[in-house]
Amino acid sequence: MIWKTAWKNVWRNKVRSFVVIISVTIGIFGGVFMVAVMNGAMEQRVDAALNEEIAHIHINDPAFRDNYDIDLTIPDLDSVVSIVSQTPGVRAFTARTIITGMANTAAKSAGVQIIGINPETEKSVFRLYETTIPGTGDFFATPGSHNMAYIGQDLAKELNIIRYVIDENVLDSLRGKGVPGKTLDKLAPYSGTRFRSEKTFKKEMKSVLGVKEQQAYGAMILKEAWSFRQRSKMTLTFLDRNLVQTGAVFRIAGIFDIKNSMYEMSQVFVRNDDLISLTGLGPDEVHQLVIALNDLGSTETVAASLAQKLPGLEVMDWKEIQPDLAMMTDLTQKYYAVFMAVILAALAFGIVNTMLMVVLERTKELGMLTAIGMNKRRVFNMIMLESIFLSMVGGVAGMIVITATRGINFANYTEGLEAFGFTAHIYPSITPLFFITVTLLIIATGVLSSIYPALKALKLDPAEALRTE
Amino acid sequence: MKILEIKNVHKIYNSSEVQVHAVNGISLNFDKGEFAAIVGPSGSGKTTLLNMIGGLDKPTEGEILVDNTNLAKLKSSSLIDFRMRNIGFVFQSYNLIPVLTAKENVEFIMNLQKWNRKSRDRRTFELLKSVGLEERANSRPAKLSGGQQQRVAVARALASKPKFVLADEPTANLDTKSTETLLDIMEQLNREEGITFIFSTHDARVVKKARRVITIEDGKVISDERKN
Repeated sequence: MIWKTAWKNVWRNKVRSFVVIISVTIGIFGGVFMVAVMNGAMEQRVDAALNEEIAHIHINDPAFRDNYDIDLTIPDLDSVVSIVSQTPGVRAFTARTIITGMANTAAKSAGVQIIGINPETEKSVFRLYETTIPGTGDFFATPGSHNMAYIGQDLAKELNIIRYVIDENVLDSLRGKGVPGKTLDKLAPYSGTRFRSEKTFKKEMKSVLGVKEQQAYGAMILKEAWSFRQRSKMTLTFLDRNLVQTGAVFRIAGIFDIKNSMYEMSQVFVRNDDLISLTGLGPDEVHQLVIALNDLGSTETVAASLAQKLPGLEVMDWKEIQPDLAMMTDLTQKYYAVFMAVILAALAFGIVNTMLMVVLERTKELGMLTAIGMNKRRVFNMIMLESIFLSMVGGVAGMIVITATRGINFANYTEGLEAFGFTAHIYPSITPLFFITVTLLIIATGVLSSIYPALKALKLDPAEALRTE
Repeated sequence: MKILEIKNVHKIYNSSEVQVHAVNGISLNFDKGEFAAIVGPSGSGKTTLLNMIGGLDKPTEGEILVDNTNLAKLKSSSLIDFRMRNIGFVFQSYNLIPVLTAKENVEFIMNLQKWNRKSRDRRTFELLKSVGLEERANSRPAKLSGGQQQRVAVARALASKPKFVLADEPTANLDTKSTETLLDIMEQLNREEGITFIFSTHDARVVKKARRVITIEDGKVISDERKN
């Protein structure tokens, strides 16, 4: 009966209750949505890092990461592979040869990390191959071909491998996508012009298009003008194991597009066979084993197990490989807690105020209830339940709104976000545990908010309260 | 059978400068089944006396014994429990819980006493029937007239089968017809079920129905008449 009465009391003054409920709804929605966005961004970043860039665990010579010395290969590779393949929790692994060098085209050069891979085993560990821009080649499905390279889009842009061209096909395509004739007329004079870099192309477009045209069609024009010439080439140069400069011409057989500019800029993938023949390394000499696990949660356990079994090698999990990412993940967890606590504390003051008004307005009724035999504990519980119901209705409404929210597109900040490895379209992500935690926090807010008003109610003298008008 | 003893009770209110002797040495006894009215002008001490009898207020001096239990000696929590089990209240302004229906208001105390659903429903129906409101069981107080609300209040006061019912000016806000109906119901409950009613009132219609009329003035009993 106390529960029922408390619930009905919540709706006694509908306007006031709705004001509180809406404020709680907005507060919870705002707080949880921001947490969900941050969490979603972090999950997407971690997912991308693990599945496209680093995987879960690396095994290499303990000194290899200090200076990437070409001679610091994994000793007794067969037995290491045997141990790794028999370790529970390991889903797949791949061997890599890693050297530093320069990527050169006729226009530009860039310092890169050249990674020799076996495309088949690489595909079992990473899904980087899924990010290949259509029409740029098929590095992972061209067996037998030699001296092919797979590079990131930003490196391709840097080396002027990607260009921007406006021709009749581009203009037709833009027309088909609804770009008005007036805008196309401004682009027509550039037909046949090739821009060597995105920067110069954007600069030129800015000079001919109005601000509204740029906002409406800029991204579309950039995408349509994007041009990759099949069989583009670049030269990779590096030192072989005798410290003699060597190199070869590699055909671009694929350009990957991920949401991490730094990675796109710095990594060049080639077939391991090609790299071995150029560096003088033997077929069983690799620098790193990269391991993917069945379950992210088992990373530390599996890494510890491998470290125990491979005492002469460095076994690092993803948190050690990318401590910045690990730190961000941990920090955001703490940030969530502080963020929600601040929001709930602010809401609590609003609820306290409302409940004090409730007690003041119902002085006579509370006096009557005490007179007819409702003890202090029950009066306290009734006030507390009203406060919890107010909080919970708002909280649940806020969380329902969140679950209906699909995502948030920070398209205007794409470049900045991708520079830090984050995607521009962030999907809010909340775990069931977080929902449960927030629900408990809302209940706690309701309880804490009710204490002062409920104590006020308990101090009422029934005889005096009954005299109140 | 004596159910209530009031022994030389005084109540003094001390404000900042003035001392008010609201009840000044009243001694009374009530037997089971009485239908008594305490009358007197405004400020005579009727409500103060009723509050002390009901355990809502404590005497400055003297004793109030309900079935030999001294109310002044009960702790606050025990006193609330004692009130719930032994005393029914009917207030001048009905004081029903506005968000609950008539039925829910009546069964509220039974719920506090953890009656089972079957007994609760049966008792609630009986009480609402006895006050003639069984068909308005699901109406909220706002949908009932003043007289009907006060009848619900009487049913609520009787819900826990109290030793006596205290009614503080129960007819003050009612019209003539509602007053008569209410008094008839209370009289009937008193005669047929032996429920003790003690009113404070200055309504002549209540006084006329009462079988014992206690008149107080300036906090003292000036007459205590019993009718046959």
